[in-house]
Amino acid sequence: MNTAAWLILLLPLFSAVAIGLGAFRSRKASAAMSVGAVVGSFLLTLLLIAAGGELHPNVIWLKIEGLQIDIGLQIDGLCKLMLCVVTGVGSLIHIFSLGYMREDRDFQRYFAFLSLFIFSMLGIVLADNFVMMFIFWELVGVSSYLLIGFWFEKPSAADAAKKAFLTNRVGDFGFLIGILMVWAVLGSVRFADLAKVVPGETAAITGLAGFLIFCGAMGKSAQTPLHVWLPDAMEGPTPVSALIHAATMVAAGVYMLCRVFFLIEGTWAMEAIAWIGGLTSLMAALMAVQQDDIKRILAYSTLSQLGYMVMAVGLGSPDAAMFHLTTHASFKALLFLGAGSVIVALHHEQDIWKMGGLRERMPRTYWTFLIGTMALCGVPLFSGFFSKEAILDVALENNILLFLVAVFVALLTTFYMTRLFVVAFMGEPRSAHAKNAAENSAVMTVPLLLLAVPSVLAGYFNAHAPNPLVLAASVVVLVFSMLVANTLYNGAEADPLPARFGRLAKALRDRFWFDEIYQWCIDNVQENLAKLADTIDRWVIAGLLVRGTHGTTELAGRVLRLAQTGNLQTYAFWFAVGLVALLIFTLT
Amino acid sequence: MDWLLIIVLLPLLAAAAVGFVPGRQRRVIRGITLGASGLTLLCALIAFCTFKVGGGIQFETKVVWVESLRLNFHLAADGINIGIILMGAIVAFAAACCADDITHRVKEFHILLNLMIGGILGAFASMDLFFFYFFHELALVPTFIMIGVWGRGANRNYATYKITLYLSLGALLALIGLIGVYVQTGAESFSIPDLIAKVQATPIAESAQRWIFPLLMFGFGILVSLWPFHTWAPLGYSAAPTATAMLHAGVLKKFGLYGLIRVAIPMAPAGAQSWLGVLAWLALANLLYCGLVAVRQKDLNLLIGNSSVAHMGFIFLGIASLNVIGLTGAVLVMIAHGLLAALAFGLSGHLYRQTGSLDMSRMGGLLRQMPLAGSALLMAMLAGCGLPGFANFAGEVMIFFAAWSAGLKTVTVIAAWSALVIGGLYMMRAIRNILHGPIGGDWAKAADASPLIAAALGLLLAALLVFGFAPGLLTKRIEGEVTKIVSLAKPSAIAGQIQTAEAAGK
Repeated sequence: MNTAAWLILLLPLFSAVAIGLGAFRSRKASAAMSVGAVVGSFLLTLLLIAAGGELHPNVIWLKIEGLQIDIGLQIDGLCKLMLCVVTGVGSLIHIFSLGYMREDRDFQRYFAFLSLFIFSMLGIVLADNFVMMFIFWELVGVSSYLLIGFWFEKPSAADAAKKAFLTNRVGDFGFLIGILMVWAVLGSVRFADLAKVVPGETAAITGLAGFLIFCGAMGKSAQTPLHVWLPDAMEGPTPVSALIHAATMVAAGVYMLCRVFFLIEGTWAMEAIAWIGGLTSLMAALMAVQQDDIKRILAYSTLSQLGYMVMAVGLGSPDAAMFHLTTHASFKALLFLGAGSVIVALHHEQDIWKMGGLRERMPRTYWTFLIGTMALCGVPLFSGFFSKEAILDVALENNILLFLVAVFVALLTTFYMTRLFVVAFMGEPRSAHAKNAAENSAVMTVPLLLLAVPSVLAGYFNAHAPNPLVLAASVVVLVFSMLVANTLYNGAEADPLPARFGRLAKALRDRFWFDEIYQWCIDNVQENLAKLADTIDRWVIAGLLVRGTHGTTELAGRVLRLAQTGNLQTYAFWFAVGLVALLIFTLT
Repeated sequence: MDWLLIIVLLPLLAAAAVGFVPGRQRRVIRGITLGASGLTLLCALIAFCTFKVGGGIQFETKVVWVESLRLNFHLAADGINIGIILMGAIVAFAAACCADDITHRVKEFHILLNLMIGGILGAFASMDLFFFYFFHELALVPTFIMIGVWGRGANRNYATYKITLYLSLGALLALIGLIGVYVQTGAESFSIPDLIAKVQATPIAESAQRWIFPLLMFGFGILVSLWPFHTWAPLGYSAAPTATAMLHAGVLKKFGLYGLIRVAIPMAPAGAQSWLGVLAWLALANLLYCGLVAVRQKDLNLLIGNSSVAHMGFIFLGIASLNVIGLTGAVLVMIAHGLLAALAFGLSGHLYRQTGSLDMSRMGGLLRQMPLAGSALLMAMLAGCGLPGFANFAGEVMIFFAAWSAGLKTVTVIAAWSALVIGGLYMMRAIRNILHGPIGGDWAKAADASPLIAAALGLLLAALLVFGFAPGLLTKRIEGEVTKIVSLAKPSAIAGQIQTAEAAGK
């Protein structure tokens, strides 16, 4: 079993290395290797689940004095659930990519990066200690960077990749300091050891350490104020958006919080986490209402749902968070792949206002997208319904204000998803591409169908009887919002909201100017600091000090040279002066 | 086998051999350098692999040179220098591979190159203070000449003067400090192990340590571009020929750090205690300030030079922590940074040959244009901003742990910010400008790396990855020796630890 566990982690690494070392020679072999690796990991995961029990194989990576860092796998229930999500959704997305990327000239490089990502992500899931998690955290960051910037010749993609990496690095900074604090106080970085110590030492671990660790999650799971990278990350290929920026990587933050929940439980960090989650879900949902790019709408929706999950952790229910993470992974991956299917059929058109009428032209995509939409909106009996209820329940119990926020977010979610769905799929085609769209081949539609299954059913594994109040609230909100959106957008040629709510709609469209504010700060603070350092370097240290020393030395040389006239009389004169001075000095 | 003797003598013999070859025979000359450095690398690899962990001083060669002065030619390896010697040999071979951009006075260049390699390896292998210093100077002088004669750019002469003055000043201060050590210990030989044994029995008077340590700290520090004595480095490297920059930034520069760990701390531990706080803040200045300066650079070589100066901050910080984790991490980063700096300067040298300019604003899309060199540069940049998997990360993370546990919390926080965010910022910008985006103006005809250069880059990358995946290969060799040094510097702390360990045992 231990071998199986190690293989889950290492298969994708082998694939990435083999494709890389084979210098991306064969398209077929590369793709086969990559798909084989992730499917292999998935099957091994199923094997582990079937075998049951917990495993904890580990090897020492680094050991000096008081610091021991293992590469160890902590395979328990939480880990298995996440393994299932990552390898399961990952497998389907790999297969979908075969179709989506088939005409790309860097097909092999794509699969190498995808395998690298799966390896890194599995590392986070399997990690049994903080440092290992941080290692794979960084690796996930870099594989995401490579995939967002996959079409690196496109300036917007290259910029988006850079932004994603750096924003994540800001979060990782907090994460690292948090790890250092935990280690300094508790003397270990292993989760198992920490869990043993913590109950007695909760007082020692302040909320600050917990909050700093949460900063890592804030970066990866794109929580406000570090959310700005995720919408831009849509510059990557769509299957990447589905895999990394919807189902797995962005869920890593939530997973990590659940993994180390025992550390943050009962500290003030919980309160902060809950509010940041709530705020993120609200702002992102608002912004999603006024976006026109199909992938961006889904990206903001992802932000908003991640906010839900983080809020659930902050409210003390990691179970609800993981539940929503699981269902969200399947239906959001489904929605993204559906969007990918539409984008391919429309020759890379992403503006929903240039779509329309896809219902007849792309029936399989239509039906599966509808299922995904219903799951996301939380239509009763779909998977998203149960997990969203679970979060609303927790909110109602713990924090009425956040409950209201969550209900309002549910309203907005239904609104923007109905808008997206009605505009893109119903009505008449609004462009030539939309008119000529045709359904994609089976390699792309079969993954959609396969993802539709858990999008409907995943909720039943953990279904509780819903709280009647919560149920009533969410159904009312759902129906109301759907009706409003349908009336507004059915048959509309352009978005009517900007005309009605000019300022507000513009604020939403401009994403509350986060990017502009950050850019201003970077330009004015960071750049000025750098300019200052550079100026000091050039003019003070190198200029004044070095050239100054140089100048003084040279001046001294010139002055002394005046004495060296080569004139015998002068020398004789100075010799005499010296002699007299010496005599006076010795005689007196 | 006296592997170290072979390792030090081979390049020096090669220098002599090149002297007998007519200057026209460029291929023969290059062949000799490549062959000698290849063999050196092989021997270094054998020595590294056959090194016995915990076996103390190994591969000793001891020849009495001047009986009356007790001067011995004494080469030996312990856990600290064995890894550095291997790294030096790898970089030397890679530099030899990248040296074919020299087209005039090839013979003279290769004589100097071989001398420099021999000097570098000799300095790190010497256990005798005299030869330790002598070999360093033997490597340093060719560096100046190579920059002056074969350097590039309009600033060449100024750069040569500057680097010569700075490094001579640093070496001079260190020399005064070393003489101070010799006089104050009242030792009868220059042997470092003897000196350490001597101070262990009777430490140098604290008042003397107070002036010896800062002399060594700033003397060695200037050699390593300690802030604010760092401005020679970016300028010097951007003017230096490729192979020289690789060897100096990669290996020779580490001499100062090695001296701090090997001589300054063991000889003047009390002085160290009172000065290391200062060193920690200067290290932070390296990391933060030079990182910020790097952000502003438009020229690739100045960027690499400044980032390399910034990275020295990690090592200084590790030393300033003065605990086992920190010093082990410092040696690890020395090795990792050596490989990385050589890689980066090797790549920038290749780029420079293509268009004669390293202006990043005119580059772009080189990942498509030169997949091999481009990918290598991408990996080098990622390693430079501390990506796990490369050896740099392992060392840096150890240093963070060490500095935090040494109580340097504020410094650690700012250092982590500099490393993760500012380090990421300039590296990402460089990748964006050089590798990503549409192809830049003059670069459409640029060629990818030749097989020889690709081999050199591959070797450096492979070494970085091997030590990154298995840092234990180095740390288990380093740890034992470092523990001795820490116990010299902080006997009470170690005793305290043993006591607590015993108490815990009971």
